[in-house]
Amino acid sequence: MADASLFLTDLALGLLLGCVFAVIAHGLNLIWGVAKVVNVAHGEFIMLGAYGAYFLNLSFGFNPLVSVPIDAAIGLAVGVGFYFGFLHRELRGKESMGLQSEMVTLVATFGLALFMINAVQTIWTGNNVGIPWSPGVFAVGFLQLPLGGLYVAIVSVTIIGLTHVFLTRTYLGNAIRAYSQDIPATRLVGINPTFTAAVGTALGFGITMAGGALLTVWLPTGIYPAMGNLYAPISFVIVVLGGPGKMWGSLVGGLTLGVIIDVGQLFVGSLSLAYAIAFLVLIPVLLLRPEGILR
Amino acid sequence: MKLPAFRSPGPTLWGLGVFLIILAVSAPWIPVFLLTLFIGLLISATLAYSLNLITGLTGYVSFGHVVFMAFGGYALAFGVGTLKLPPVAGVGLAALVGLALALGIGAVTLRFRGVFFAIATLVVAVAALYIVLEITELGDGQGITLNVGFEPLSMFYTIWGILAIEIGLTFWITRGRIGYGIRSIKSDEDAANTLGINAARLKLFAYALSGLFAGAAGGVYAWNVSGAFPYDAFNLVFSLRMLAMIVIGGMGTLLGPLLGAIAVYIPSQIFLTVLIGFEYIIIGLVVVVIALFVPEGIVGTLRKYIPELRGILE
Repeated sequence: MADASLFLTDLALGLLLGCVFAVIAHGLNLIWGVAKVVNVAHGEFIMLGAYGAYFLNLSFGFNPLVSVPIDAAIGLAVGVGFYFGFLHRELRGKESMGLQSEMVTLVATFGLALFMINAVQTIWTGNNVGIPWSPGVFAVGFLQLPLGGLYVAIVSVTIIGLTHVFLTRTYLGNAIRAYSQDIPATRLVGINPTFTAAVGTALGFGITMAGGALLTVWLPTGIYPAMGNLYAPISFVIVVLGGPGKMWGSLVGGLTLGVIIDVGQLFVGSLSLAYAIAFLVLIPVLLLRPEGILR
Repeated sequence: MKLPAFRSPGPTLWGLGVFLIILAVSAPWIPVFLLTLFIGLLISATLAYSLNLITGLTGYVSFGHVVFMAFGGYALAFGVGTLKLPPVAGVGLAALVGLALALGIGAVTLRFRGVFFAIATLVVAVAALYIVLEITELGDGQGITLNVGFEPLSMFYTIWGILAIEIGLTFWITRGRIGYGIRSIKSDEDAANTLGINAARLKLFAYALSGLFAGAAGGVYAWNVSGAFPYDAFNLVFSLRMLAMIVIGGMGTLLGPLLGAIAVYIPSQIFLTVLIGFEYIIIGLVVVVIALFVPEGIVGTLRKYIPELRGILE
């Protein structure tokens, strides 16, 4: 019985954690789907979101959930800057991203990642910090689960749901989806490609930084400059699992990965091996179902 | 009967050869602190040429190259520490480990293209760190500390020899049949396949060679710092530095990686003593600016604006 309850606890924790993973991957997924660019500095923007929540807590006493919309707003602004700084030159007037442009953005964002880690380390020191916020526990049957985790999971699913509504029910959302499918055709029907791509990228960054704020609830002392080195690969794996460009894919991939990490930890007996397994899941998925596990 | 045309090695190779020979001949008289600087520079250059084989020539961006370097370092630490090999044999072991690892990783990841290859290599490198942390023989997450005497000269000649072989091989590859094949993969892999080029085999060849030299360089690095430590050896910063060197120097060229290694390594040594902590901020910024605005690097830009240099610089 003890084992079964341990297993169920880890499963539930994994699902709750998976919801947050889904949000941070969702931001990457949007940028990947819209601009056809992989932002290698993705983890560093998660880190920036987490630090945003930390400083809002330190200065104003906001809890991470209150910081989410503020972080998202900052993220939108950062996203616009990123689009015009990094992507516009490569995307402007082209029908699709060539291999050469792809390499340029990969290398440039890799440089950006290193810059951000070390700039943050210099400004805010490399110490681990965290937000002291824990609203208690709630019980489902015999399982004791953190209430903060539940709140965060609800907010996460709401964010993904709202993005879905935005992308399928509004004009701008449809324009973004059209852009991601066929750029010349988008231009033919009178959609401004630059504006659409900028909005899509900004939205992706907003969600990423909101995800960083949500993640802090799970990290009592885990905010540090290089945290992106862990969460960026997690996001990559989730997006590939769910299928790049598929919005519900992030949720499915996130839940899968959360469960793999938490339940895997129970079976292999160490967190590092669980992470290694979660990362290496990417390889068979890419080999066997490169379009993602969703149909 | 037609004799094969005699191909002159070209001024770039002559220049590189003269540079290396002057370095080798004068090594015994170079003061020790300068010699360690040169050892670091040659390690950097070896890593840059190794990444150049797969990223510069074949066009596959690898973010996980640090994995070969790290396992090379661990191979040397294990070989010298546990098996009591002499350090030079340890470097050989490191190269073999790099080669075997590249064959294994490459056989799987080289099936992916572009972004997917880059991400797959990155993820493999991160996963490898988490696996090494759990292996008791490799120091259980603490790393292995070596107790070898400090012999800068033998270290210098080892890495010198590796780099010389590597430059020669790079030259041989770019001039020959393999070079045409590899470059056609970079331009258009599907077209290359249609022409009867076995792209899968050529890519694996380039990647394996790349892993071999990265492993050897990692071995010398571990010898230099007397041990292999997980968070140091698997630091993704090494991947970025290799990438920075070939981006700055000029991807896929013969001279570029060396220029890039000098441009990245020498300032980093100055920053280490003068502006501690700013090193990677500045390297990161420089990589961003060069990748966005001068993607051809030093060599490519020189060739573009000074046409007279086209016959000289490779």
